[in-house]
Amino acid sequence: MTEPVTTAQTTAKTTEPAPPTTEAVVRIEGLCKSFDGRLVLDHVNLEVDRGRIVSVIGQSGGGKTTLMRCVNLLERPDQGTIEVAGKVVHQDGRMVCRDLPGLRRTVGMVFQRFNLFPHITAVENVVLAQRKAGVAEPEALERAVALLRRVGVAHRALALPDQLSGGEQQRVAIARALALRPEVLLFDEPTSSLDPEATREVLSVMRELAEEGMTMLLVTHELPFAREVSDHVVFVDGGRIVEEGRPQDVLETPAQARTREFLATYGATS
Amino acid sequence: MSGLFQVPWSDYQSDLIDALWRTVSYTVVSFVGAVLLGLAVALLRLSKAWPARAVAALYTEVFKNIPLLAIIFLAYFGLASAGLRLDVFTAGCLSLVVFYAAYLSEIFRSAISGVHAGQTEAGEALGLGKAGIFGHVILPQAVRLALPGTNTMLVDLLKSTSLLVTISAAELMSEGRLITSATFRALEVYLVISAVYFALCYPLSQLLLLLERKVRAGVPLSPWRRRRVRAAHVLLAADLGAGADRKEATV
Ligand SMILES: Nc1ncnc2c1ncn2[C@@H]1O[C@H](COP(=O)(O)OP(=O)(O)OP(=O)(O)O)[C@@H](O)[C@H]1O
Ligand SMILES: [Mg+2]
Repeated sequence: MTEPVTTAQTTAKTTEPAPPTTEAVVRIEGLCKSFDGRLVLDHVNLEVDRGRIVSVIGQSGGGKTTLMRCVNLLERPDQGTIEVAGKVVHQDGRMVCRDLPGLRRTVGMVFQRFNLFPHITAVENVVLAQRKAGVAEPEALERAVALLRRVGVAHRALALPDQLSGGEQQRVAIARALALRPEVLLFDEPTSSLDPEATREVLSVMRELAEEGMTMLLVTHELPFAREVSDHVVFVDGGRIVEEGRPQDVLETPAQARTREFLATYGATS
Repeated sequence: MSGLFQVPWSDYQSDLIDALWRTVSYTVVSFVGAVLLGLAVALLRLSKAWPARAVAALYTEVFKNIPLLAIIFLAYFGLASAGLRLDVFTAGCLSLVVFYAAYLSEIFRSAISGVHAGQTEAGEALGLGKAGIFGHVILPQAVRLALPGTNTMLVDLLKSTSLLVTISAAELMSEGRLITSATFRALEVYLVISAVYFALCYPLSQLLLLLERKVRAGVPLSPWRRRRVRAAHVLLAADLGAGADRKEATV
């Protein structure tokens, strides 16, 4: 099992060198993370170039969420280098980043469960962090309203999160993350607790963001969507990158048996 | 029956008003003190350092398991006999503060830990600092959770000020005792005193219930939230469409 893994990683690296014009917004090198002595991420390398969309797929418990959480340091890596927007933020288990809030504003995150603040209205959810980041009230409010329009929930802007549907909540969460003008957006299974209709709504917002050139790293089980929007797909299993490459290659003609197995269970091989 | 009301109440009117004022003062001062101390104890109990947690737990358990009257006697007579003579008001407030802080700390602790962990993470992911997360995310939600219990404690505290009659605190109950000894009309006097307590507590608890309901409905109560929601409403006039005057968050 270990043999093909390393091959996959090295081949992916050699066959797809980053073009000199692009710049990595997120660069992860040799990332290791264990919980209670159990290795959850094992020497993971990953780059997300500006304007690119990278999708992470894989079975439950494979370490996808942990990988995302290491990018904005919600989780502290044990080993390896995390670089965001050209700055090393964490290296060999040491926090290098001096401005954690600043890092978090550079990296927007949308969670699987909508983590809107339930005690304030949708529009206030979008304003709050902007104000703490030093944006003036009128500007913050205008930006919030504009973003809520963009994700199509402006008509519900004065509702509390509980009064919104799941799809609406998730779109507000996207607006909230965008409000800080992040350089990259992380999505952790943004549609997996939504019904098909709400999933469509959220995916269409994400598709628009993709078309506008937003840099995104997303974990998803929506394989057709990943196939459509991604520039690069990464298959993670047991804390390792088993296979990665262009979406059509990884999702349609996977080289690794593990990948084929995974895709077969998700019914997306054909 | 017609002889029930024979006390010349008009003679006691100004004394009663003074006593009422006293009761309200004890309640307000003690409640504010108990909330602050209770919050401090709750935060200690949630602290990462075990000695802090132990001290807070000890405090809570001690004062929850001693009768309030014993605390009042300790504060007024006990401390005086040890050389620390507190005036009645200070001793009374101190007793109420330490007693109710113990209960409030339990309410606050469970409210704070009742806020979902995902909320802290969402705050962190948005680059809010520790203070920002506590002040804007945890505390407002904890208030929502703590409000019912806290309100019960406020009304309970108001009624408990009557125990201060034992140190002649000049509040309503003490005044009742004075009038009784002057008129020997215990039934009439204590009925009136009880009615005054009821007239204080009933509207207060109804008001608090209303407050609870508003907070639960997410109604913006603070001036800055009201201003923000109003400004948003103006900007959103076109989007909100026909239902624009029916403010969502103020239902
Ligand atoms: N805070 C934690 N403490 C201990 N173990 C954890 C923690 N977070 C994650 N794990 C473990 O790490 C492994 C990877 O978890 P992770 O959530 O990253 O997987 P995932 O690929 O996102 O799975 P899913 O598709 O179910 O979301 C799992 O075995 C999980 O139990
Ligand atoms: Mg996950």
